[in-house]
Parts: sequence; C-alpha cells; structure tokens
Amino acid sequence: MKQTATIYPRARIPYGTWGSSYFPAWQTSPLAEVNIGQFAGEAMNRIMGLRRVPVHELEYLVIGSTIPWHWKFWTAPMVASCMNHRIPGFHVEQACATGLQAVMVAGAQVEAGGQDVVGVLTFDRTSDSPVGVFPERRAHQRTYALSDVWDNFGFDPATGKAMIGCAGNAARKYKIDRKEIDELTLHRYDQYYNARKSGLLDKVLVPLELLNVQGKPMGVIDEDLGVRRLTLDAIRQMRELDTCVTPGSQTHASDGMATLLVTSPEKARQLSPRPEINIQFVAKAEARTYPSLMPEAPSLAVQNLLKRTGLTMADMVVVKNHNPFSVNDAVFAKMLNYDWHKMNNTGCPLVWGHPQGPTLTRVMIEAFEEAVSVGGGYVLIFWCAAGDVGIAAAFHVGDGGNKS
Amino acid sequence: MTTMRQSTLETLGLGTVHGIFQKGKLPVTTSELVDQVFGPANNRGAMVISGANGIVGAGKMMQLGSRLHPYGVTMVGLDFPSAPDGIGRQYAGLKAAFGQGGAESIMSNVVRLNYDGKALPSRLADFRPRFLLEAIPEILEIKRAHYQVFRSTFKDIEIRSVTSGFPSSELGVGIAHPAFPHEINKLWEVVEPKPSPSTQLLWSLGLLPVPVSDNWSFVLDVLFCGLTLSALRWHRASNMPYWKIDKYVRRSFGPNPFRAHDAIGAKGANFLTWSCLHHLSGKYGPLFAPTPELEYLKESGQNWYPLDHFRPLVNWSMTAGDEEQFQSWVLGPILQMTSLLLKEKRGHLSHINAIGEICAQFRSGVLAMIRRMGAEAAIKRVEAYHRLHPEAAKGCWYPDEFRKISEPAWQQLYVNAEHDGKVGVITIGREAYNSDVDAELNRAIDWLKAAKIDRVIVTGDFHFSSQMVGADTAEFYPALDDVKCGTDVSAGWSATARRLHRDFAVSVAYINGKRCLGGMLELMMHCRYLVAHKDATLGMPEVTLPVIPGMEGCHWPLRKVAAEQRPRLLRMLLTGESVKASDASGWLVDYAGSMDDAIKAVWEIASGTSKIKERTVADGAFDVPMEVQLPAASNGSEAGRSAIAECIKKSCAVPLGEAITIQARLSGQFMAGKHCREGRIGADAAKTLAV
Repeated sequence: MKQTATIYPRARIPYGTWGSSYFPAWQTSPLAEVNIGQFAGEAMNRIMGLRRVPVHELEYLVIGSTIPWHWKFWTAPMVASCMNHRIPGFHVEQACATGLQAVMVAGAQVEAGGQDVVGVLTFDRTSDSPVGVFPERRAHQRTYALSDVWDNFGFDPATGKAMIGCAGNAARKYKIDRKEIDELTLHRYDQYYNARKSGLLDKVLVPLELLNVQGKPMGVIDEDLGVRRLTLDAIRQMRELDTCVTPGSQTHASDGMATLLVTSPEKARQLSPRPEINIQFVAKAEARTYPSLMPEAPSLAVQNLLKRTGLTMADMVVVKNHNPFSVNDAVFAKMLNYDWHKMNNTGCPLVWGHPQGPTLTRVMIEAFEEAVSVGGGYVLIFWCAAGDVGIAAAFHVGDGGNKS
Repeated sequence: MTTMRQSTLETLGLGTVHGIFQKGKLPVTTSELVDQVFGPANNRGAMVISGANGIVGAGKMMQLGSRLHPYGVTMVGLDFPSAPDGIGRQYAGLKAAFGQGGAESIMSNVVRLNYDGKALPSRLADFRPRFLLEAIPEILEIKRAHYQVFRSTFKDIEIRSVTSGFPSSELGVGIAHPAFPHEINKLWEVVEPKPSPSTQLLWSLGLLPVPVSDNWSFVLDVLFCGLTLSALRWHRASNMPYWKIDKYVRRSFGPNPFRAHDAIGAKGANFLTWSCLHHLSGKYGPLFAPTPELEYLKESGQNWYPLDHFRPLVNWSMTAGDEEQFQSWVLGPILQMTSLLLKEKRGHLSHINAIGEICAQFRSGVLAMIRRMGAEAAIKRVEAYHRLHPEAAKGCWYPDEFRKISEPAWQQLYVNAEHDGKVGVITIGREAYNSDVDAELNRAIDWLKAAKIDRVIVTGDFHFSSQMVGADTAEFYPALDDVKCGTDVSAGWSATARRLHRDFAVSVAYINGKRCLGGMLELMMHCRYLVAHKDATLGMPEVTLPVIPGMEGCHWPLRKVAAEQRPRLLRMLLTGESVKASDASGWLVDYAGSMDDAIKAVWEIASGTSKIKERTVADGAFDVPMEVQLPAASNGSEAGRSAIAECIKKSCAVPLGEAITIQARLSGQFMAGKHCREGRIGADAAKTLAV
C-alpha cells in the first residue's frame, strides 16, 4: 500500500461514532415541520448515546447547513444546547460541499490543538424552505423575495442559468448518451437496495422518533422516503428534461441530518467501539470549471488530488461521488477512465436524495463503513457544489493491522 | 406493654398508641404545649421566622400561622427590605383554604419587620420572641452569626434551623427541616437531643415531626438529592435528556427529580441540591460527588427542562440492556445511600421509609422497595452499580444492613401492633392501603394471635396517617390488563379484612383522622365495631374513579344494617357522596364523638365494659331493592354505578361465604374493562407508566 502524507496528522475520525438520519424526500415526513437545528442537536445527542459516546466528551461543535432555519443566528452554541451541552462552535456552509468542508474544519480545529473532540453536525430542511425578503434598491422590483431552495436552484447569479442546465451542458460536452445514463441510474438504485439488504446501512442510519409539542409521537423517520425501486423500462420511458437528465437521473430534495466526530488519536481510541481502526485525513483539492459545467468540476478536483498525492485510482478501495445527476458519474468515468460500476457501492445522493448540508457527511460515513468492510485502504470522495465548483478529498482507513 | 416494633410516637416522647387508649386521652394537648413554648396566654410570646419571604419561610409562616392563630401566637416575619414579597403571595392559598375572612384573620396576626442582616429591629422586642425558625440562606457562617444576634438580644429564645444540610453540631441550634411544598407538606425532620415541647407542638398541630440523627444532610435530602445525582449519572452515561430520564424514573420509582427542581424554582433548588451533595461528598466521598451538569446549573440557575420553544423533538427509548443499566445507575446508588442511612441509624425505619413516600414522591418507600426486592437482589444491584462506577465502591457501602431485613423494624414499616396481654392495638401508618400494608397487617394479626390476644383495636398510628384515603390505586395498574390480577388483589385484601372480624372476639376500628375512604373504610368496617371521630368524613368514592369497591364494600356494610337503612349505604356506594361520622351513627359507625370521648368509647368496647352492642353480619342471602333516588352521573360514573349496583345485587344474593368470590370476580373484571381503563386509574397508569 502506497504511503502518503496527511494534511492533519493529529486528527482522526473515530470509527463507529457516527450516524445519519434517514433522508425523507421533502414534504414527506414530520421533518418538514420541525426546527431542523433543534432536531439536529437532539438527534446528534441520541446518536451519540446509541454509539456510547457521552456528549460531555465533546469540546467543540462545527455545524453545517445551507438553508436558513429558525434562530440560525445562534448557530452551533444553540444547537449544542439542544444536546444539553454548552460548548462553543460555529457554522460553515458551502452548498452541497458543506458536509465535507465541516469535517475539514473540524480536522483543522483538532490539528491546531485547541480541542481533542470536535463534533461535526450537518443538517438541512429543504421542505418549506424559508423565503428571504431582500431590499434591493438597484433592482426594478425594489424588494426581492427569494425562496431559498428553489429560487437558488433555478438561478445562478454568476451565469444567469439554472442548476439543471449544467448537467445537460456537461452531457453534451462529453457526448454522454442517454442509454448509458439509464443503465448507470438503474445500477445506482440496485447498489442502494443491495446495501440496504446487506445491513451495511444499518450501521449508518438511525431511526428517530419525533414528538409534537404535546410530547405525543409525530412519526418515526426510518425510511429514505421517496426512494422507490425503478426498472430499466421505467427509466427509459422517463421524459428528458435536458440532455441525459430525467426525473430518475437527477436527485431530489430531502430533509435530514448526519454527524460524526473528529478527535485526537487518543480520544479516537477511547471513544471508538473499534479503536484499532484508524481513520486519517489524507488530502483535499478543489477546482472551479467553466460556467454551467458543474458536473466536470469534481473530476478536475480529483485529478488535482491524485497529482498532488501521487495516488492513483487503483489505490482507492472506496470511491464515492456526490452525484446530483447521473451525468456526474458518467463524466467522471470518462475523464478518469474509471468504471462507474465500481463506485458509489452503498448508494448515493442520486438515489437517497439531497438535503444539502448533511449529504456529504452521509456519503463519508457510508464510505468509511464500506472501507472497513473491505479491510481498509484509501477512500476517495468527490463532489460538486454551487458555482461550478468541484472538491475531492482522500482519507485512509486502517483496519488495525489486517491491511494497511 | 409488648410491641412488634417501637411505635413512631415513642420517638416523639409521646408513648404508645395503646397508651392513648388505655389512658383515654391524647398524650399532650396543644394548649399546654403552646404555653410551654410561647409562654402563658397572659404573656404569650411570638414566633419569629427569619428569611420569611423566601420559599421556606413564607410557606412555614402560613402553615404555622394558620395553626397557631387560635392560640394568640404572633407570627413575626423578618427579612431584608429588598426581599421580594413572599408572604403576600401566600394570601391566595390561604383564602382558598380558609375563606376570605379566615385568611384575613390569619394575615392580621402576621407582623413583617425588615432588618439589615446584622442588628435586629428594636421593635422586635415588643412581640416577645420566644421561638426563632431560621430560614436564611445555606451559608454556615451567616447562620451562626444570625443565632448570635438573636441570643445576645433574647437570651432564652429557642431556635430551630430549617437547614437542608448542616448538622446541628455545626450550627449550634436544633433543626426543624421541612419538606417541600412548604405550605402544605406537614413533614419536618427534627434534630434535637431529646423530643422537645416544640416538636411535640408540631405533632399536636397536626404536623409530622420526624426525629432524625445529627448528620450532614437529612434523610429526605439524601434520598432526593441522591436520586437527582443518580439520574444525572445516568444522563452522563447515556446522554438521555433530563425530561426523558424523569419519565423512566417516575415509572420505576415515582419521583420526577428534574421536574421537581424546576417546580420548586431551579435557581434555589439547584443550589440546595448541589450544596447537599457537596457537603455529603466532602464527608462520604465520591458516591455523593456532584456532576459537572449540576455544578453548571447551580451557577446558572437554569431550568432542567427545555424552554417552551424547545419542547423535545426527538424521543428516546431503551432496550432491555439499557434498562438494566439504567436500574443499576439510578437504583444502585439509592440503595447504597440507604445502607448508609441505616448504618448511621438516621431514624426509625418507618420514618426513613415514609419520608421517601411523603416528601419525595416515591411510590413505595425505599425500605419497602428493598424488602420487595429482597436483600440479596438489592446487594447485587449495588454491586452492578459499582462495576459501572467503581469510585462509588470506595466507601459508604454497608450490605449487612440489608441482611437485617427479617427484623421486625424492617418487616413492619407501616403496621405495628402492641398489646398488654389482654387488648391489642394494630396501627396503620400509611394513608393508602397497598400490598405492603396488607402483608404487614396479616403479620400483625398473626403476632397478636400468637400472643393469644382476642381483643383488638385497629386504628391509624396517630402520627403518619392523619387520614385514611383508601386503596393505593397504583396497585391496580397491572389489573387494568389482567382480570386475574385484579381478582386476586380484591380477594386477597378482602380475606385480610375478614380476619379482623373472624380472628378476634372483639375488634374495634377507630377512625381518628380527618377522613376514611374507599378501601380503608372497607377494611375498618370489617371490625366488629366501628368508632370514629365525629368530624371524620367517611365515603366510598370508588364510583367516581370508576372502580368497584373490592374489599367487600358492596355487601359487608349492607349485611350489618336493617333493610330500611340500606338506601343510605346504597347512596354512598352509587354516588360516591361522603358522610360525616356524626351523621352515620347507627348505620355505618357504632359510635362517633370527640377525640377524648371516642378514645374512651373504643377502650370500653375493647376491654368489654361498653354497652354498645355489636351489629352482627347477616350470613345469608338477601335481596337489595335498588329503588334509591340518585343524581345524574357522568358517563364513566354511570358505568361504574351500574357495575357497583350489579355487584351489590349479586354479592348480597348469596351467603356471606360466597360473596367474597363474587365481589372479587366482578371487581377484577371491571378493572380490566374499558371504563376503568378510560377512568382516573387508567389515566394515572398511563401518566405513570408511559415513557
């Protein structure tokens, strides 16, 4: 196994001290009705309880979310209070990159030596997204009302174009054909259902029961609601919204949270149920491509990362792409000459949805579980974010000596 | 005089209950004691409460002021000029209890004086202070200085501190530590070398003084603060939020420790809990060490429960394994702390047990709980706790105390028996009848039978049971889902009640308190004679719950009266209306009179010198016409009324020997039915058991 440097030598991600809610599609679950910041805090407390991590071990909290929520002004301290734990912390966001950027910030926090146990908590509620009212004296409307999720998806102020258009543009640039996209889409759904069946996702996803204001049960979030099995025929019959973009080959908005810890090596050994597993940060690279070509940006970032680290795709035991469009995976396969069948093995945001803030956190957790299940090795995660940005990150999962 | 175990009255220097009957009067009178404590009527002194506007001070100002008012004892409240008006806030409660006229009269006897904490106001001497109840903040030096100021001005003043933590030996004064809520909770833990007139006065005023030994923190504080600490340790182990822990603690033991702090006022209560544990840990070690969460909330004064806008969103549940750990984390330390209370002989075992029930909402007192578990199971639970929290194993663990479980003091926590070789007295020291009382009552009867006593008086203990409220309905929760369980409870308790009739040539029940209701009245009615204080309220409110009276209330009293008197009993049974004992003579009670008269009447009956004739219990079957005018009932009551009417008809239509089975069967069936489950017992069960 190739050896590489690590960007945060002191930072570890303790195996098994993580968890994610299921991601119900927007407007399908009681999550549509809650203060998602409060929910995230309480859910993290619950998940840490289930993982036997006392929250009083946490010294700092990095939260990530992209959609404004009630009392967002108070950011991480408020969310920490919902865990009955008063610790400092702050908020980060970069659209769909939020989850991994939050983990990187936590890694830096530990590396700097300020804290030994940093919680990362990412969440978003796309349902009933808030509407901001912005006084804009230079706009003819004078006052501009903006629905946070849908109006932003529909308009990139830097290009004047909608998000969906970038997938069509990339498909056309790389001459991706619909047949490949339909097969890729079906394969992604199969991967998800196979992972569910294998039980691997049970190590990631935590059912959470919600209460209403009277303290009565409001429902249990125990499914990625909105995900349904698709057949190739059904996918083929879907109407094309843009080149290679159909309702089946693009993700959907959803709600949820996901959390993990970043700690010192000592604390990782103390808190993890399997202290022999050593998860380290390796590298991160970023790129920005031409306007409205977002799906190729992650591949550019991966190329940068491989060049900087000296790693190759053959070194990676787990490859995960955050794929709002199937086109993203197809473009990556072409640019890196990589078989898309070999990546996103446990499911991906294309299938289970896109609650923005926590999306990549769940991707990471699934990737680490998958890496452990195959005996450890390098994990590559890459993703796109609003503004035609692509980011890639590599981690190393040691399995405690079985495979290094 | 022979007793099963020491009477709790004896701990107050008031002799035995048997002695009360033998002498034909109560051991002391309020007038005598007021004279002793406050001086004679022509030179009556005042009671001073310092810190009178605080939660304790204001509550006790009302509780004692309302009771001492008839004796002309002026109540002087002393506090800082800037203290918020705690006394004035009590007025609404007084008005509700005594009416506007009564409240104004009581308040007119309250004098409020301000002081600067250093020098006493000169006017204070005008009221001739004789007794100081100190309720100022829990800071030892300030308290000591406070006593010095009083003693230098009023040489002979008697002082008691309400402190919740400091021992008398540190304070230099006696302790009268009351339990929350201070306006209505009657229990006071008292520390003094021997029972004093002021303590006996509390008893005479209808309060519950309980002597305890002089240690850091008293029994209630050890149990309640200890439970809070145990719950906090579970929080630290599991992350479970406080509101959810409260639900599990309530289901397992009864109290809501965190909610209680918020209800009392988190700022003060958090400090007191911390203070208690801080001092205990200083003396006894890590078992009592406050957690960082408590330290934080002590400083911040914040509530334990989330603010309204953060009402909990994510629910919690426990696996069987979690529940096992929960029991060890929460119950383990309480058991260990109890072993310490026992080792240090903190008080009469009945007192230690009752304090948990009366003041800390324990469904079953901590000793009764251990007795149900068994000594070895309790010891194993503490050992399991020590595996989770090894620091706690380093001291204060006395398992041998639990191994004394078969001693009478352990076995008779609620029921005692005394006899002089001829007449026995059985005392019940719990207001609600439950399976513990039932078992203890059987043991008391066995004990008297073994001593060949065939004349017995059955009564309250003149201490803890100032009233008898009926069956403990928590005992019925399992019966809501299980007909057999309800039937067994009814049949078993009825069988015990019958022993009061069958096993003694003469048995006299004496209702000495304010009221006797439901199951307790059914029990007492089984005695061959029933005597009551004339002002006692008697009733069978089961129909309002609704539930069928399960201890033969549907036929036993009807068998003791002539047919023309049965409609009165039917009305009681079918409406739940109560009756004054003085109005029930001849058909429900055999004699009702003043306390002294009734005590004498009881003794005369028991000793065979009374002319009151025993009303016999009709053995045969008879028909009970149900033609009685009844007011309209609610739906639940109507169902209960119909079921009770059916039970009356069926249990009276068979001989006495068969009636017990019929009543038990119908009672069990009704408890497992829709109306009981949807009634008050079902609601209470849901509230208690649902987590």
